[in-house]
Amino acid sequence: MDFELSDDVKGAIARAKDFADKYFTEEIAERADSEEQFPSDIVAISKKEKILDFSNPWQVLVTIEELVRRDPGLGISVTISAFGAEIFMFFGNDAQKEKYMNPVFAGKKSLGLGVTEASGGSDVASITTEAKLDGDSYILNGGKMFISNGQIADNFLVLARTSPAPSPEKKHRGLSVFVVDAKSPGFGINKLHGKLGVRATNTAELIFDNVRVPKENMVGEEGKGFYYIMTFFNISRIYVAAQGLGIAHGALDRLIEYSKKYADHSETGELKEDMQLAIAEIATRVEATRNITYKAASYLFKFTPNPIVTSMAKFYAAESAVFSTQKAMELMSLHGLTSDLERFFRDAKILDIWEGTTEVEKLIITRMMLKEGGA
Amino acid sequence: MEEEYEILENTVKDFNTKYVDNNSMKLENDEMGKEFVKMLADQGFLSMTYQPGAGKNTDIKAFSIVLENLAKSAPAISLKTLLTNSFLSIVNEQSILDEVAKGEKSGTVTFSDLLVGKGQNGKLLIENNRVKGEKQFVLGSDSDFIVTTLDTGELVLLRSGFKVGKKHKRLGFRSVGFASIVVDSDDFKVIDKDGTRMLQKLYEDLSVPVAAMSLGMSEGVSQKALDYAKVRTAFGHYLKDFQPLAFELTSQIAEMEILKKYFHDIVSSTVNQKEAMFLKVKALALAKDISKTSLQIHGGYGYLEDFGVEKFYRDSMALSVLFHHEEKDMEKLSGMVFESRAGFV
Repeated sequence: MDFELSDDVKGAIARAKDFADKYFTEEIAERADSEEQFPSDIVAISKKEKILDFSNPWQVLVTIEELVRRDPGLGISVTISAFGAEIFMFFGNDAQKEKYMNPVFAGKKSLGLGVTEASGGSDVASITTEAKLDGDSYILNGGKMFISNGQIADNFLVLARTSPAPSPEKKHRGLSVFVVDAKSPGFGINKLHGKLGVRATNTAELIFDNVRVPKENMVGEEGKGFYYIMTFFNISRIYVAAQGLGIAHGALDRLIEYSKKYADHSETGELKEDMQLAIAEIATRVEATRNITYKAASYLFKFTPNPIVTSMAKFYAAESAVFSTQKAMELMSLHGLTSDLERFFRDAKILDIWEGTTEVEKLIITRMMLKEGGA
Repeated sequence: MEEEYEILENTVKDFNTKYVDNNSMKLENDEMGKEFVKMLADQGFLSMTYQPGAGKNTDIKAFSIVLENLAKSAPAISLKTLLTNSFLSIVNEQSILDEVAKGEKSGTVTFSDLLVGKGQNGKLLIENNRVKGEKQFVLGSDSDFIVTTLDTGELVLLRSGFKVGKKHKRLGFRSVGFASIVVDSDDFKVIDKDGTRMLQKLYEDLSVPVAAMSLGMSEGVSQKALDYAKVRTAFGHYLKDFQPLAFELTSQIAEMEILKKYFHDIVSSTVNQKEAMFLKVKALALAKDISKTSLQIHGGYGYLEDFGVEKFYRDSMALSVLFHHEEKDMEKLSGMVFESRAGFV
């Protein structure tokens, strides 16, 4: 067992720090947040500078953590352009990888994933978007909700029903994944406004009104879409855990910085115990989150994913992000309320919701443990 | 509840239904506008601590009922009411009192000196009969009149000669100004030489009203969660049927109902400072917890402002920072519990 990071990974952290120092200024972060504006220019620079090195997933993981630690909205915007690409990697054919995945990893295109629906939320198997075969194409009808990169992505991986569920208990059957060109006729996009946080990220509703998709755009086998999406979630949840880690660490950075100044202004010139204990608790949570996230990543990156540890990492990171930002805000008083910490506080809450709510993650953990006998 | 308070409660509820509920996003995110403030004044909500022609007389129960019920629909409107009444309770100039009570002008009191350390809140001094300098963290910075403390300790009323400086980030209560003020004024009056003591007293007197706001927020947001959980389905069941959501919300509503009873006991007799602080601390914490649970129950929709839940998440945290200091308040409360100085080494 070795907890030491490799030089490559340390290099990725250093590059992410430099990038954030240069481009994640408070002015830019605040503007993106207040105007709900996706930072296209910074994303373009990040692609040019190859901030995300997709050839090494550990580097991707620590880059997400480091950039989000500086600013969640900008950090997620910069690191989400390949969202869903692993579905091509594991289930796509060579032509799909060449046409859709490689340009994303090369920073030339952006991808989005259309799974969640207005009526569905965590209940993926209940989606109602349909794809009906018509000659050499499928016709898509329906809609998707809360889709990241909604207005940004060039292509979307879309989960749709291609055959009726054999029974209410087996709703997860009969679902398939398609890659859909965002410029397809009948494909509509409505940007969602008024999010609590991560307002720099682009979130939209997708509408499919008789969208014709070539048959060859089906990814993998017909009817196995649910399995593909669940496999992907076991990957993406680790990256979401890294987001939570980044936010919790960002809150800790700000509380420590504040506490140094606070000590200078306190009656005794010392830091009170309540503050000391809070810092210790948040720091411990950050460390625990990092360990469990890296453990989940270690399983995944060796191609032996462990969904139990993955769900543990995701929910614990989300809770740690919410806890840390709230605690830091309470202790920093008006200084927290008027600093970028208030943005971290708003941003953190989405982690409890996206990529499977905290409740769903906990149910996955217990059900799999009862089935398989432990983590 | 006595009949007069029931009538008052129904009056606020009617006001919410008629003027707030269909317009709350605008009233809470943008400026409320003079016309709306005038409507608040016409209902008597802005003059709970001072009535033109009748003078000062605060019925803490009535005041709290107004704040609680306004906060159920729109916490920012409740805060505006709290700030205005705080101002009226501390100022003694008849013409200003009348203008503010009628909603023609606005006034606020800055509490930030009690919440941050010395030197961290700007610098405000009298020089050559002028108040000069800058004050940070002014809630209600868009007001016509401001009561604030000087570095030398006096509490002053600024009638004019100040302008909004740097606007602060606004986690909550976005239609209420929150900025620094830049002051160069000869149009001021010293209200009290020992301003910090007077401000501290006012801050302590606000424990029950702040708790009332918190409870109103808890009631408003939990009702949204109850309504949503009854109609929204996932995995073939109503959300209310899932134990994690149902049990957590129920547990928090139980806490809320207990606090409401405690609250009504407190306001029905002479307010005891220790009990008032107990109530404030617990009501603020509950508002944050219940807002978090309610947002979670709404899932992605809770994260969007259209559903009117995320505002409670922001406002409950903002309120707990603006009217509560985790360390200072707890030191004071611990002192009352231990009956001697406590929380200090």
